[in-house]
Amino acid sequence: MAISAEPTVVLSHLHHTDGSATFSQDGYTVIGAVNGPIEVSRRDELPEEAVVEVTVRPAAGVGGTRERHLESILQATLRQVIFIHNFPRRLIQITLQVTSTPDNDSVGSKIVQASVNLPILPSLLQTSVLTLLSASIPLAMTLTSILLAVTPDGILRSPTIKEIQGANSVHVLAFSSHGELLVAESDGIFTMDVWDDVHTVARRICCVETSANDSMQEDGLEEKAGGIMTFVKSVLQEKVNQDLNWKK
Amino acid sequence: MPRELGPSLNERQFFLQALKEEVRIDSRGFGDFRAIQLDFGDEYGVSDVRIGKTRVLTNITAEVTTPFPDRPFDGPFTITTSLSAMASPSFSGPPSETEVLLARLLEKTLRRSGALDTESLCLIAGRAVFSIRADVHVLSHDGNLTDAACLGVVAALRHFRRGDSEVKGEDVKVFTMAEREGVALSLLHYPLCVTFSFYEGEVVLVDATLSEEQMREGSCTIGMNKHGEVCQIAKLGGAPVDAVILLSCSNLALRHVERMSKVMEERLLEDAKRRYKGGIKAEPSSENARVP
Repeated sequence: MAISAEPTVVLSHLHHTDGSATFSQDGYTVIGAVNGPIEVSRRDELPEEAVVEVTVRPAAGVGGTRERHLESILQATLRQVIFIHNFPRRLIQITLQVTSTPDNDSVGSKIVQASVNLPILPSLLQTSVLTLLSASIPLAMTLTSILLAVTPDGILRSPTIKEIQGANSVHVLAFSSHGELLVAESDGIFTMDVWDDVHTVARRICCVETSANDSMQEDGLEEKAGGIMTFVKSVLQEKVNQDLNWKK
Repeated sequence: MPRELGPSLNERQFFLQALKEEVRIDSRGFGDFRAIQLDFGDEYGVSDVRIGKTRVLTNITAEVTTPFPDRPFDGPFTITTSLSAMASPSFSGPPSETEVLLARLLEKTLRRSGALDTESLCLIAGRAVFSIRADVHVLSHDGNLTDAACLGVVAALRHFRRGDSEVKGEDVKVFTMAEREGVALSLLHYPLCVTFSFYEGEVVLVDATLSEEQMREGSCTIGMNKHGEVCQIAKLGGAPVDAVILLSCSNLALRHVERMSKVMEERLLEDAKRRYKGGIKAEPSSENARVP
């Protein structure tokens, strides 16, 4: 099956949760659900801020250390994003269910449980933010994130599994809507100069809002970039329009 | 972790009064299912079942493992169910009763009725077998999880293709999908579940929603295939039910199982058509097209 790089999203489609979103990008599909603010168990409760609980569930098999690692990154990031001081002694519970990962026809049919963690992280981050937005939980900012692979040919955006295997290093960067760096996870061998280049490219993709005309003129990376920020904003605009439909 | 909220006293009275007047809250007939929607993923062995607002996602995976020493010819077939906070916030924490019962019922219906021919998964006796794993993810819970999950697992099993394999002496080679077309699993029959909810001794509802489930006095799950062969009947506690009612239930179950089988059949056919590329396979033919 052809994998489309274009991200797609469905918002608020599960009825029993406060907010939900299905996000797919580069062959990854993640369903997110958030409940909150709800009651927290006595043991975990924080007196002055909300507890953010993130659960990542793989499509097949049970979660292991890889999922726990991803959860810890997500939890630390989302604590910066959510206004946790607004909800002392409360719980914001985020469940992320991975439903499909890019299949690789040329490798064996062993259960692939994200052998490298990082490629799925941008989808998880993006899903969790869209889920929180769908639940209308007060956020200090939104975030956009990107996976970049540094190969001998240069910096690649949304690399395939093969390209990741052949890459010198893989980087996941996330930026807040104010343009600040929120997450920087790297895997592989690279120098500081390379990282600086990666940072520049990632910032351009994540933060710059491109209108349709701009992206036509640019080449290379920007061609399919179109600004992730623009995507998030257009999704939200659509949702707000739909929600306010009754007023018209 | 919050407790699942049940219906209030007013809701309960309203619902029971409505039942007496032979009306269901969502205006369905007592023996009617909600709309069933069955979709398949891009990968093989992924099914997405929606019955009303209930949504269950099933994922089948296969792996080559060594069999259990006491069953050297059988490939292990496991079904795992996961009710996460996604279905309801009350499901976080240790497995709830709902989850255990769901897993147990699926096990009884599918595994113990011998739906999957586990001996066909054997590659080398005692050395290498395919192990099949079904992961059932409940995405949204609005009642009748058992029927949805059972339909999901059976549909996913029928949709799944494992890698083709070749045994040369002691060596096993499993081909990838790019090298060879996958092989469908050998299923002996397709059992499906229909759950009945009992109220006030004689009212029987099919496909109860979550609030209807919370108010029922008892329930009974019948697993059968479309030939009318009953695989299991589970009546776990609850109010006693007349034997005649149970008999009429099993007749009704057959009607629903036949209908669900038809939906499954149609959707599988549509999916197969969508996947069929035709061209590439047909091309390397040496036959002369002009000769009739």
